[in-house]
Amino acid sequence: MRLWPRSLAGQLALVSAVALFVGQAINFGLILRERAASRLAQASRPVAIRVADLLEREAAGVSPARAVRGRVRRLATNPIPAEATERRPEVADEVRRQLAELGIAVGRIDTQLLPASELVQRRPRALRRWRDRIMARLRIAIEQPGRGWLVGVAPWPRPGPRVLGMLLVQTLVIYLLTLLPLLWIARRLSRPLRELTRAAGQFHPLRPPLPLPAQGPEDLRQLIAAFHALWARVAAMLSEKDRMLGAIGHDLRTPLAALRVRIESVEDEQDRTRMAETVMEMSRTLDDILSLARLGHSSEPMGEVDLAALVDAVVEDFRDLGDAVSFTPSDRLPWRVRPAAIRRALRNLIENAIKYGGSADVRLEAGPDRACVVVADEGPGIAPELLETVFDPFTRIEQSRNRDTGGIGLGLALARGLAREAGGEVTLANRPTGGLEARLTLPR
Amino acid sequence: MADTPHLLLVDDERSIREPLARFLEKQGLRVTQAAHAGDARAKLAAYAIDLVILDVMMPGEDGLSLCRHIRATSDTPVILLTARAEETDRIVGLEMGADDYVVKPFSPRELATRAKVILRRAAAAGTRQHPPDSGAYAFAGWVLKMGERVLVDREGVTVPLSTGEYNLLLALVTRPRQVLTRDQLLDLTQGREAAAFDRAIDNQVSRLRKKIEPDPKTPTIIKTVWGGGYTLTAEVTRL
Repeated sequence: MRLWPRSLAGQLALVSAVALFVGQAINFGLILRERAASRLAQASRPVAIRVADLLEREAAGVSPARAVRGRVRRLATNPIPAEATERRPEVADEVRRQLAELGIAVGRIDTQLLPASELVQRRPRALRRWRDRIMARLRIAIEQPGRGWLVGVAPWPRPGPRVLGMLLVQTLVIYLLTLLPLLWIARRLSRPLRELTRAAGQFHPLRPPLPLPAQGPEDLRQLIAAFHALWARVAAMLSEKDRMLGAIGHDLRTPLAALRVRIESVEDEQDRTRMAETVMEMSRTLDDILSLARLGHSSEPMGEVDLAALVDAVVEDFRDLGDAVSFTPSDRLPWRVRPAAIRRALRNLIENAIKYGGSADVRLEAGPDRACVVVADEGPGIAPELLETVFDPFTRIEQSRNRDTGGIGLGLALARGLAREAGGEVTLANRPTGGLEARLTLPR
Repeated sequence: MADTPHLLLVDDERSIREPLARFLEKQGLRVTQAAHAGDARAKLAAYAIDLVILDVMMPGEDGLSLCRHIRATSDTPVILLTARAEETDRIVGLEMGADDYVVKPFSPRELATRAKVILRRAAAAGTRQHPPDSGAYAFAGWVLKMGERVLVDREGVTVPLSTGEYNLLLALVTRPRQVLTRDQLLDLTQGREAAAFDRAIDNQVSRLRKKIEPDPKTPTIIKTVWGGGYTLTAEVTRL
């Protein structure tokens, strides 16, 4: 449907134009029929009456009046040549019907269309030609068997170009009168609708709504007002979510901190260490939940950062804590990133590798338009069908990842979220030599 | 008791403040408690406080504002207790002139260690000489930004540092042209985070050299002093 316009104004205009045209066509069909009927009556009625009148006078022995004689003449033979083409049999039928009504029986009836100009020979030629186009005469010859022919002439208007011209003019006038206001209304509707669409498309909870004047008809004003209210509600809900997460963070961290302080009074050192570890684990999980919930509104600015040094620094921090993490030194690689976010993502990947693989081997692969940090471990790997599932928050693979390694499956979800925030991705793959390989890809 | 350091512990949460005060007292510190900023101001005026441990999130005047007040009126060092580990919070806290910060939930032992390190530094210097942990130092074409704990090169590219490297470089940059022995460096870099405890200073120095020296084999910025330790030879400008 290439002709079907996409916009509201276009569709309104097209539909009404088609509807108007169909209406006009039906209207004109009716007019034409009406005109045809009235022409038939105009042509046949006077001739029938005159014939009846003539016959009556003849019967009464009165010689026909001059005027009458001029209109219906008696001839011995049919004046219409056999080869004449323009006959009007419907007129012949109508005349016969009317004569029958008047009680006059006739023989054959013949008709012939003649140019009107013969009637008006004295007028100028141009006028005659114009009249010929719109007007003709119809000669009607009626046979009275045995008594010759009665011949009359009736006016015969031609429909032709005049009616078509009228149709055209009328249609144009109607189009102008209806389509212009329609298009105006459609424009009045569609501009605010377009702006509303743009405003909805640019919705961002942290940005104030675009100024959207209430314009257009009342229905639309109500829609715009409702949209404003919706925007305000959504923004309020989102900021409420942030506020709530902040409060949860604070309210959970405070009792955790209190607990952590009190743990110091536990006498048994082993118990104390375990309790402290549990508290730190809870705190880390809380951090991950909060970071995951805050993904997308990072306040950290982007900066040109040496990725090689970044990876090296993260790896070094792990090594300082005694973890088996190695990094193949890499050349300087300035890249535009949010350094703390990428550090966090990488830290999670390395933590995972250590937790489930015992060690991590990190390397940096630089390409022209993307850089990739690869974290490989030598653990059991992950069943291929679960390689994507582990990215879902709170997933953990029970068989290979047992409970006391701690942590709910937020690390990978967060790493992937942070990478995606930077336009990159985190993927997992089993290495052919055994173990798992996590790839953190960052676009240029 | 003039030689027992006097701490002011400011936290609105009794459940943290009271057991923490007891713990710190067991560690040989004298602790005065304050439940809100107004209380803290009064006690700062009433006692000779050596160190303030200050909760950031408090109803009414918060810890950052109180920290600013302390910094404006005295040299008393401040350790912030923050509930959020976010980078910006830490940077703001350090910009407000805090000497250190710990994120809740923290280990009381670690807090005590850091408090002692800061107290020892303050005692060694007579007055508070350690610069506030914000701002930046420029040396040999490099800029060390303290809030973000990163190094920025001539072209403006950020070179992230590990915790150990950062602490070591900060110790060197704040004492240019002084010879610092390995023991001194260990002392100066530990306490902030447990990180540097196990790593040999030599190892950290060689890593730093790889990052900042034009030619790590013949170092010109961090020089080894024969029989002594290390020294930063470059000109350092406080930014």
